[in-house]
Amino acid sequence: MLPPFFTLVEAHGDELLAHARRLAGPAHAEDVVQDALLRALRAYPRLAHADHLRAWLYRVTTNAAIDHHRARRREIPTASPPEVPSDPHEIDGFEDLIAPLPDGTRAALRLRFVEDLEYEAIAARLECSPQAARQRVSTAVRTLRERLAA
Amino acid sequence: MTPLPDNLLESVAAAAVREGLADALFTHVGTPIGRLLVVSGPNGILRIAFEREDHDADLAYVARHVGPRVLASDREMVAVRDAIEAYFAGDLAALDLPYDLRLVRSDFRRQALETLAREVGPGQVVTYGQLAERTANPRAARATGTACATNPVPIVVPCHRVVPSTGGVGNYGGGPDLKVRLLEHEGVLVPTLPALRTPRS
Repeated sequence: MLPPFFTLVEAHGDELLAHARRLAGPAHAEDVVQDALLRALRAYPRLAHADHLRAWLYRVTTNAAIDHHRARRREIPTASPPEVPSDPHEIDGFEDLIAPLPDGTRAALRLRFVEDLEYEAIAARLECSPQAARQRVSTAVRTLRERLAA
Repeated sequence: MTPLPDNLLESVAAAAVREGLADALFTHVGTPIGRLLVVSGPNGILRIAFEREDHDADLAYVARHVGPRVLASDREMVAVRDAIEAYFAGDLAALDLPYDLRLVRSDFRRQALETLAREVGPGQVVTYGQLAERTANPRAARATGTACATNPVPIVVPCHRVVPSTGGVGNYGGGPDLKVRLLEHEGVLVPTLPALRTPRS
């Protein structure tokens, strides 16, 4: 059973904005979140289950940040809404996005934003301390951002 | 937790409405009878809840039965907000708003509520039996009582204008006191209603 969409915005909106700020910079973060929420709304009724909604929103926001960046680089507005995949939980472009990154970086991003694990659980999987896990995720997000800026 | 800026949320709601992405929108309206929850779908008002009701549960119910894309927006709901405020300021005709009775569970209850909204204006009252007659089923007074008790859109669909033939104002979702206040606001002299007219022994 999917919860009313506004409850997701209430629960996670601020951290999505912080995530967008890290990826796209403060000047563009609100635009990115607005776009991300609209993308999420387009896909929401077709989600097969209500698991890991927070991680799903992080992925949608990440993709929105990347498209925002590409659009700005081309300096042409996107004319039509992006195609929505048939199974938005599974196929949301996240793997394509992280494919060029090193293995360790991809693993950290997946554990955080696909499996939706907290840092203690990520630490257990990566066999390191929670502090080191947080550091690795943070480094991975920074690597992603730097690739966007390149 | 810091909520997202209002202008961002309102922009999302406006774009969602433009693209047909919102199953329902909601707002809270402060009134002399308390803070009301008002939920609208594309075809009209789906739900009005009194302050004493569980608004989170109501919104979850709307999500389950209408669709999960439920968004908050004061700006997209401004026409409804203005109409409700105008009603409480004395413009009794302002509540002539489109409503959507899809949350009503039976055809008879829906018919009874539609009849009530169409035929019983501000300042008027009918009994449950009279409403049953007008809904073409004179023996269904009890069922019209259930229709009123489960009315998802009180005030706009005016179940406060339906009273028992045995006297008094009867029950009300917002409480009997609130029913009296709404009737008095509409100019009905509550002490002249049947049971209150007869001195109690």
